[in-house]
Amino acid sequence: MANTDPIKVGVLYSATGATSAIESSQLMGTLLAISEINETGGINDRELVAVRYDPQSNTQQFRTLAERLVTVDNVNVIFGSYMSSTRKAVIPVVERYNRILFYATLYEGFEFSNNLIYTGAAPNQNSVQLADFMMSFFGGRVYLVGSDYIYPYESNRIMSDLVTQRPGGETVARRYVPVNAGPGDFDEIIADIKATQPDFIFSTVVGNATQHFYRAFAEAGLDPKKMPIASLTTSEVEVAQMGAAAAAGHFTAAPYFQSIDTPANHACLKNFHRRFSYETMPNACWEAAYFQVHLFANAMRAAGSDNIDALMPKLLGAEFLAPQGRVRIEPANHHTCLYPRIGRVNPQGQFTIVRASTSAVVPDPYLVTHSLGDWTLALDELTD
Amino acid sequence: MAKDRPELRPALRAGRVIPQILKDLRALRVCVFHPRDQDGEGLTRQLERIGCQVQAFWPPLSTLPDGVDLVFMALSPDMLDTDFAWCVSDEAPPVIAVITYENPTIIEAVLRIGAKATVASPIRSFGLLSALVLARELGSTIKKQKKRIAQLEIKLAGVRQITEAQNILCKQRGISKKEAYQVIREQAMNKRVTAEEIAVAIINANEILSFKS
Repeated sequence: MANTDPIKVGVLYSATGATSAIESSQLMGTLLAISEINETGGINDRELVAVRYDPQSNTQQFRTLAERLVTVDNVNVIFGSYMSSTRKAVIPVVERYNRILFYATLYEGFEFSNNLIYTGAAPNQNSVQLADFMMSFFGGRVYLVGSDYIYPYESNRIMSDLVTQRPGGETVARRYVPVNAGPGDFDEIIADIKATQPDFIFSTVVGNATQHFYRAFAEAGLDPKKMPIASLTTSEVEVAQMGAAAAAGHFTAAPYFQSIDTPANHACLKNFHRRFSYETMPNACWEAAYFQVHLFANAMRAAGSDNIDALMPKLLGAEFLAPQGRVRIEPANHHTCLYPRIGRVNPQGQFTIVRASTSAVVPDPYLVTHSLGDWTLALDELTD
Repeated sequence: MAKDRPELRPALRAGRVIPQILKDLRALRVCVFHPRDQDGEGLTRQLERIGCQVQAFWPPLSTLPDGVDLVFMALSPDMLDTDFAWCVSDEAPPVIAVITYENPTIIEAVLRIGAKATVASPIRSFGLLSALVLARELGSTIKKQKKRIAQLEIKLAGVRQITEAQNILCKQRGISKKEAYQVIREQAMNKRVTAEEIAVAIINANEILSFKS
């Protein structure tokens, strides 16, 4: 007799707290994939069911709820976490109980676990490209502003290292604000930026605080045409939060933008808007959260089980035609081959893609010294 | 994170420099002596992920291949009687012990091979990079210090010899200590040898000449 029991998977994206907006978009990406999968017969005729909790952007909650998903809800697979601190809180749980965590967020690298699949960008898939682009158009004097936790520290180290590879490149300053920074927290930094006049700003401010930084920047009359902000974490979600007026002209590097003009992306967006409201803005973290569920479902169809020992061999090397292009899980390090792109916010609050890699870049999470110019540069030039 | 907001951090103007030891990881030649089991494979794979050039052997070789920068050595109980002579040589690369037990027998072996770090078996990916960097740093610090100590010992012996030679000259020629030093220095410069060598010559000559008394 065929097994028709539903398959429960754990889903941990915060609905509240410092990174609630971006994590909510990841939840929507996850739910989109689950609903697509269920509409086409589920996984081997079994319905996929999300067991969801709100970890409140809080490290301790992530640990507690991951433990609950495993021990009470008996899930074998968890999708979730955004900040590195929250991923680190879930890892001991999935390692102890030998479960799988799918992590759909760009991060700072230097990690590998047999129990993880990483579908966001590693630094060699976004930082290098961003530094290369910004320096060739604006110069090498960079001002670093970030949220006060591990991802910005390491990302800033990489950026500092990259700018000093070019003559005249230097780090003007390195500033950190609390993760839950508010509107007033950027005043002094903005004043310092005005005084020191860097060529560009590299922002690793994350989550709901991002809007306050960009708004303060715009209100101070700083012109993105002359001195733009470059980021890896300012996505369509943060742009929507701050408003297109404050965001226009600034740059972000990511493997996915909503504006990607391919049949796969158009089809995915159409599906999404048919099922869900326009409230959530599709973005790179949304897309990774989306395609990783499909990678899981395909692997489970092949394995017949969601047990890690059966599933992992089917996941490693697996490919999927994602909205960004054909992605592949690199078996050597469990990270994903992705397509780096540079986007510039346009007046509509979407990203105009100004550079794109023509082929997938293989993830290299343990790279200490990045070199400029080692990606397949392509195509479009800045228009004004 | 949810706690009260900390103060804004002051600007950090100076960029922190990444230690050369981290930049060198991709050129690092690592020799792994570990049984060819799941653990050994995991160790080799993680080293390859980090980007090191890895050679794996089991059982351990009696001499190291040329140009090895770092050695991982599994101290399995059946290997404890092996004499790893190369481990204790001054030129040996740093060794990281891979240990499955933590009893005094094994720890004695860890000390005997001069390990600079240990990793626990079953091996986890996490922690390997830190152990590797720390072992290299310790190894290179110890090597530098040994060299420096050897130089200082020679120097110190020389200072004693010069003092003794000065005393001999003071007594024999009735000159001051400062003048005695000038004599030694001039002799050294004329003969193009070190002051220490002149001092030794004076001490030896004095021993021979004062043989009668």
